[in-house]
Amino acid sequence: MIRRIVLWSVLIALPLLLIAAAIGGVLLLRQGGLAPYRVPSASGDIVAAGDASEGAYLARIGNCLTCHTVRGGVAFAGGRPFRTDYGTLYSTNLTPDSKTGLGDWSVEEFRHAMRHGVSRHGVLYPAFPYANFAHLTDADLDALFAYLRTLAPVEATPPPNDLAWPANWRGALVGWRMLHYRPAPLPERADASPDWLRGRYLVDGLGHCAMCHGTRGAQGSLPAEGYLAGGRIPGQGWYAPPLDARQLARYDVDQLAEYLSTGNGEHGAAYGSMAEVVYTSLRHLRPEDARAMATYLKSVPAHGGDEKPDSGRFLYAAAQPAANPHNGGRLYQDHCASCHGDGGEGRGRDYPPLRGAVSVTAPDPVNTVRLVLYGGVPPTTAGNPRPHSMPPFAGRLSNAEIAAIVSHIRRNWGEQDRPVSAADVAAYYGIRGD
Amino acid sequence: MKDDASARPRLATAARVLARLSCIAFLAFGAVQAQTADDDLRERLAACTACHGERGEGVAGSTYYPHLAGKPAGYLVEQLQAFRDGRRHYWQMVWLTQFMDDAYIAEIAAYYAAQPPHTQAADVGAPALPPAVRERAERLVHHGDPQAGLPACAACHGTALTGLEPAVPALVGLPQDYIVSQIGSWRDGTRRSKAPDCMAKIAARLAPADIRIVAQYLSHQSPGAHDRPAAAGSLIPPLACGDLPQAQVTP
Repeated sequence: MIRRIVLWSVLIALPLLLIAAAIGGVLLLRQGGLAPYRVPSASGDIVAAGDASEGAYLARIGNCLTCHTVRGGVAFAGGRPFRTDYGTLYSTNLTPDSKTGLGDWSVEEFRHAMRHGVSRHGVLYPAFPYANFAHLTDADLDALFAYLRTLAPVEATPPPNDLAWPANWRGALVGWRMLHYRPAPLPERADASPDWLRGRYLVDGLGHCAMCHGTRGAQGSLPAEGYLAGGRIPGQGWYAPPLDARQLARYDVDQLAEYLSTGNGEHGAAYGSMAEVVYTSLRHLRPEDARAMATYLKSVPAHGGDEKPDSGRFLYAAAQPAANPHNGGRLYQDHCASCHGDGGEGRGRDYPPLRGAVSVTAPDPVNTVRLVLYGGVPPTTAGNPRPHSMPPFAGRLSNAEIAAIVSHIRRNWGEQDRPVSAADVAAYYGIRGD
Repeated sequence: MKDDASARPRLATAARVLARLSCIAFLAFGAVQAQTADDDLRERLAACTACHGERGEGVAGSTYYPHLAGKPAGYLVEQLQAFRDGRRHYWQMVWLTQFMDDAYIAEIAAYYAAQPPHTQAADVGAPALPPAVRERAERLVHHGDPQAGLPACAACHGTALTGLEPAVPALVGLPQDYIVSQIGSWRDGTRRSKAPDCMAKIAARLAPADIRIVAQYLSHQSPGAHDRPAAAGSLIPPLACGDLPQAQVTP
């Protein structure tokens, strides 16, 4: 009897195990097999043969600085916190300190970590955009490494990550990669212009634009269908718009290149996370690279065909906001029209038009609300050295008044009929320190 | 010939008048230009106006925000950089300064420093101090407490407490809550000045009760309409402070 139970159990369990192993094997293969986990030895060539001055430029454009520097800290010495749904991560020290930085890394180790997201410390968290850096050429990776080796070594260990289980166990990242990571080289495009190819290389590679401008899937993944499709940036409190032919229709290539490198233009100025990207990175773009990025971005096919983006997937605090007692149009006239114009048309390059602006047309209202609450100053750049600023209204107008203004602007000039409630404004209150 | 002779002085007079007129026109033009440049920057700084007033004079009735007008430019530069670079943590200011380069910061600081130091009237919100307490506060402000190792406020901020060029701010015309909050921030490290951070040392030595009464006393003081910061070098601070030139002189 017992033998029969054991026999039947084995007969049932064995195929199940085999199926599980087969599925696991397939998933493992799809995230690159076992090769990513074979980290090259540290005894390789430490002396970098790359072009350090080109590496300095590439580090700017890749914006290593923004993530790997804490406010007020030494550049590239790490420690900046990143708040995720799973807890807080801290960036690492990229200076050539042998104890706490990349001091005794070989160039092979560096290339491997950049391309596969696995280092001597284990599997790296996907906050590090290795999926993008996988596209970099050997020459560019070596140039970056050569540049990082010219920095003064700084002994600095970031605070330990503060993550919930299972994210705090690096082994779990193998499972995450099996489910969500699908490395693939950039498709061959024999017909494309060198400009377009360079643009794609910068956007998808070094620039890692999709980290903010992609639509996130389950567990913070970036599925292929969300490529540059826009969404709420994790941990940042800003919405990043899609980057495609429709969203960028207002710009021609020159205007978009100007926006990228100056943070300003006739369709408005950079704010929020984009202001930071312009300030620490894109203002250093060579003119031909700015044009290349613009050329490529304008060629990305529009997402979702002709349909208007669905606002339903974005968080509104109240399912059905109560009627707002305030007249948004009147409040707009009193507080906004002197700069942005009676019809939201703006004035020159100093006061951005609201008509058609991303913050106004976006399905997610967070950018408008936060700009009205806390104002902003666009980044200072060579092309916009003395930016005009937007005053904060937090504390001067009530949440209901701000909600009325935002709803008015978005309904009239953004075709976003969904009203914003005082509760929405309250939900976006507060500047999160770092 | 006669005509010619009389024409010469007339010509000379005309030339003189013309020269004078063009001089006046030039000066007026210069003034208009300066005015326009001023207005131009003021327009750019709408975000500052909300809390600090049109020309940095402070907002009437404000119980927290400090005035900027007439404070030494070096002090204002240092503060804007401190917000940007993580030495001060008032998040609304960090938000506005974080992507600003040194050139723009210097221009903004120079603009506010050049404004007439019309600060708001004394903080009417802070209650008056009882005479004995007021006396202690006044003594701390003007004479310090040598036994506690506390220099007088006036030793660095000027006998009129209107600051010292190029980088020591006025202490008059500030709301009480602002002063208390700054000293508290120095004590817990959320406000830091360039090393050596003399204010951090002083804040640490101040007894909490003294912080409150000194702040209350200071908030009652109003500057005169034309009170500018004391001239650079007119005081030798008793403590080494940041990179003030005076600091190098003192042991």
